[in-house]
Amino acid sequence: MATPYYVPESNVPLPPKGADVISTACDYCIVACGYKVYRWPVNAQNGGPSAEENAFDADFPVEALGPWVAPNQHNIVLHNGQPHHVVIIPDKDTKHVNIDGDSSLRGGCIAQKCYNPQTPTRDRLKTPLMRIYGTLMPVPWDLALDVAAEVGNHVIKKHGTNAYGVKTFSYQYIENTYAISKYALRHVNTANFTFHDTPSDVSSTPGFRDAGFDNFAPAYEDWRDAETLLICGTDPYETKTILFTQWIMRGIENGQKAIFMVPRRTAGVAYAEKNGGLYLDVTPGTDLLVVNAIARLIVENGWEDSEWIKKWVNNKWESSSGFGQGTRNTPWQWRTTWGKFQTKGFEDWKEWLLAQDEFKLKNASEVSGVDAKKIKLAAEWMGKPRKTGARPKTSIMIEKGFYWSNNTGNTQAISALGIICGCGGRPGQVIGRAGGHQRGGVKGGKYPRNKSPEKLPGRRRRAMDTDRYLISGHTRFAHVIGTTWIQSMCGTQQLADKFEELTVSNPHQIRSFDKDEIVKTLNARADSGGMVVINQDIYLQDPIANRYADIVFPAATWGEEDFIRANGERRLRLYQKFYDAPGAAKPDWWIIAQLAKRMGFDGFDWKNSNEVAEEASRFTRGSRKDFFMVKVAAHREGKTLHQKMREFGTDGIQGPVIMTDSGELKGTKRLHDTQRSLPAEGAAGANVFNKKLTHFNSQTGKCNIQKSPWSLFSDYWEWMKPKDDELWCTSGRINERWQSGFDDRRRPYIVQRWPENWVEIHPDDAKKRGIESGDYVMVYSERVAGQKNTIVGVEGDDFQFSSLLKNGHIELTEAAITAVAMVTPAVKKNVMYMDFLHMQQPANALEGRVVDWISGNYNYKMGVGKIKKLGASPYKHQFRTMSFAPRDIA
Amino acid sequence: MSDTILEKNKGCDCAKNGKNSCTMSRRQFLLASGATTFTVMVTMNAGTPQAKEVPAMVATYPRKFIAKLSELKQDEPVDFNYPDEDSFSESLLVKLGQESGGGVGPIKDVVAFNYTCTHQGGPLQETYKAETKSLGPCPLHLSTYDLTRHGILISGQAYQSLPQILLEVDGDDVYAVGVFGLIYGRYDNLKG
Repeated sequence: MATPYYVPESNVPLPPKGADVISTACDYCIVACGYKVYRWPVNAQNGGPSAEENAFDADFPVEALGPWVAPNQHNIVLHNGQPHHVVIIPDKDTKHVNIDGDSSLRGGCIAQKCYNPQTPTRDRLKTPLMRIYGTLMPVPWDLALDVAAEVGNHVIKKHGTNAYGVKTFSYQYIENTYAISKYALRHVNTANFTFHDTPSDVSSTPGFRDAGFDNFAPAYEDWRDAETLLICGTDPYETKTILFTQWIMRGIENGQKAIFMVPRRTAGVAYAEKNGGLYLDVTPGTDLLVVNAIARLIVENGWEDSEWIKKWVNNKWESSSGFGQGTRNTPWQWRTTWGKFQTKGFEDWKEWLLAQDEFKLKNASEVSGVDAKKIKLAAEWMGKPRKTGARPKTSIMIEKGFYWSNNTGNTQAISALGIICGCGGRPGQVIGRAGGHQRGGVKGGKYPRNKSPEKLPGRRRRAMDTDRYLISGHTRFAHVIGTTWIQSMCGTQQLADKFEELTVSNPHQIRSFDKDEIVKTLNARADSGGMVVINQDIYLQDPIANRYADIVFPAATWGEEDFIRANGERRLRLYQKFYDAPGAAKPDWWIIAQLAKRMGFDGFDWKNSNEVAEEASRFTRGSRKDFFMVKVAAHREGKTLHQKMREFGTDGIQGPVIMTDSGELKGTKRLHDTQRSLPAEGAAGANVFNKKLTHFNSQTGKCNIQKSPWSLFSDYWEWMKPKDDELWCTSGRINERWQSGFDDRRRPYIVQRWPENWVEIHPDDAKKRGIESGDYVMVYSERVAGQKNTIVGVEGDDFQFSSLLKNGHIELTEAAITAVAMVTPAVKKNVMYMDFLHMQQPANALEGRVVDWISGNYNYKMGVGKIKKLGASPYKHQFRTMSFAPRDIA
Repeated sequence: MSDTILEKNKGCDCAKNGKNSCTMSRRQFLLASGATTFTVMVTMNAGTPQAKEVPAMVATYPRKFIAKLSELKQDEPVDFNYPDEDSFSESLLVKLGQESGGGVGPIKDVVAFNYTCTHQGGPLQETYKAETKSLGPCPLHLSTYDLTRHGILISGQAYQSLPQILLEVDGDDVYAVGVFGLIYGRYDNLKG
């Protein structure tokens, strides 16, 4: 893609008095800051600099933190077919989330997201496309939908429901996710279904699930009010900015001891360290050892929260029998009853912990590369009671760097550490995820696990590994919605090869303008062992749409339709439509409904997104996003659900929402709120009081404290550990870019900052290889592990990596991507760090395509590679693009 | 509208109209980066007998003396106000000791920037770091800026680069002659 050049403006139009003011929230990270859109016609006079002349009621120049408008916060859009100015700035009046009107760079410039043919957004998809004679050509909706439906039905009928694969975003608004999952799970009923960030539809944090912790139980104020906060696998400043700047930073200012466990020092880590915090510079994949070393120090010293444990931890009887984990054929039921994890309670767990030599401080320190003194200090901060006897209020936050390194092991270990520190269910004493994307999923159907071919030892089924299924040639119809799929998954380049083979290399290609011929051709493709790809997205992503899709549906998105979504503290808001979607682009729920009706499915007659939301609300009952009572209240008041949600503005309301006797709606500040009292008479009317409101997610409502054996993972880690000239190669988010950069690639300023993928490398590692900042490098691997066969597990360790390797189920392939080197001591020695999702230079190409054998998730952060200099990049000596200054200046 | 870039001072009538200096368009600053004065000319009434070229005054910045090159010490910022004395006009001039984007002087290492964070208006005074040639972190939300690279954001939340003050050298004298990028708090650099 050509570099759109950034030329800063030196003035900006101000909204006049009377401009429309529309509340919304940011489209990007989990935090979902509140925003206001100011809209006025281009032929109306702009506002002036005095308070009497503009919609902000503010005199310019405004004060610090005032309603300033940066040029990147202005755009021109069509509203009802007429050009309008829009200025989109953080809500300066909001009382929640981004209090004081704070914003990140991403959301701060969200006005640039809007389609405007004079900006690099001009390539938004505006019509359906069909690949005819090898070229994606515009076609009308009817033709595109008819063909997709006919071929889809043919594939289901002839090859079975699992041949129809659906790979979809999990979060792009509840109206869309509900419609998509209703279609895929309830109607197509395929087990070949998963979300954008996992090869299998499984829990992201199995250890949390088993312990009974909801991922998003805490309130944002809890992160501020913790006295000790352990943050694992993320720097929230880099990735969920406002959670850091408005909450954690405030905590640190008040004396909170922040401990970061990450292999890379960025601005948030540097700020914490400067203010008395601690940086545990962990080697990729060794978090479990550090966590258990901390736990060990705590129990050796008797610093555990005994009262909490006594009251809130399951004993053997509670976790296994009697109130046990049920039928044991769901993943969490078997994990919690399988001897590898299950304990008889705290004492049993403690005995196990103390018997594992690898958790001794010396060993944990040596393998993880974290100074033993720092591990000890962390244990003291988290557990050691004060002289007064009072315990520190300790909280634990985890995110992908942690749970995508050793998915099951790390999440089991951290849950146990959380339990013994008394994290959970009290103000400032919580455990949860920081979050990545926002929470916009509502399932309109149940995943048919029994149709999955994945059978683990015993009689346990696990959701299908859809990548392996596709690579095996079973997916004949891939329906891809709002995800790059290929670059988002591990072993990217092998996956791309297979897509190429099954689609464009198949002899059955559309070379006709006759609909029946087109359908016949695509059916023949599927019947010949090939695959048909349809893709819904807002831009033509490469390669999934650009190279492989047969049909592309243009989707409408943020600001182009009324949608509901929740943030990382379950705060539900209406994201309002304020401008026209480009061309014939339609929201995903509409696309799905048209397709479903053509396929003969009933229940897709929605007229607008509110109708979808109202139907979906019933399926949220009892969930963390439960907003069913909002709909009840709305209808009682003669309003629609969307109208009622709109009234909440940027404040929104935190799920689960209950209705009091007086008919008032009441949100939920935190889940597992052990200090909350609910009405003694129980849930009245349509209210649902799920156990998670006041207890934990287990049969008894208490926590399961579980073991976290290193041995389940250590064979993979030892195999992967850098050999010879290799370095660890891991990846993650960078503050200035969001996801695949689908919007950022179209923002000249961001492109100037990050034109390409980059790799951070320690000066010692760089020097050995003659690499300087600004050099083009090749990052490559000669051994990317890929799990190739779907086997029926019989013996307990059949799926352990060393068994798979021994039995010939792992193939080793090569991978290579280029990047721009950034030499910095901020990254740990022996570790390389890249942006996780550049379309052209995808870091996941180097990460092993082997699922965590217990959970089914990829361990995306585990990879190794070599690095060599190719020559100077243009950015090395030019001044306009990139910066090689360190990101941890404090 | 067609921009015509003329050679230095050609067609410039700034002395006549009482202005201190010619101004540059943003595009020209990009192209010329650190060079001295150019004037952007715009053809009005193109294709008609009335066609004439006039300076495209995007904004009229004052030409203000800031410092003597010979008196600048490396990594010791000189503070000044620009383009006026009003809110958010505080700026720094600094000799970085290495060639930098928009730099003037014999090794093009003298640069100047506005001191106000382009995120939410935090003050960046006293945050210059010699070892990284950077400003920040901003006390409000920790943004940092690379002064060797036109004030581009290193890490943080700002919506744009730090506004760079366009410099001009006349003998030993360094003048501020323009601002590249909107100054925080203002809707127009010259109008407040």
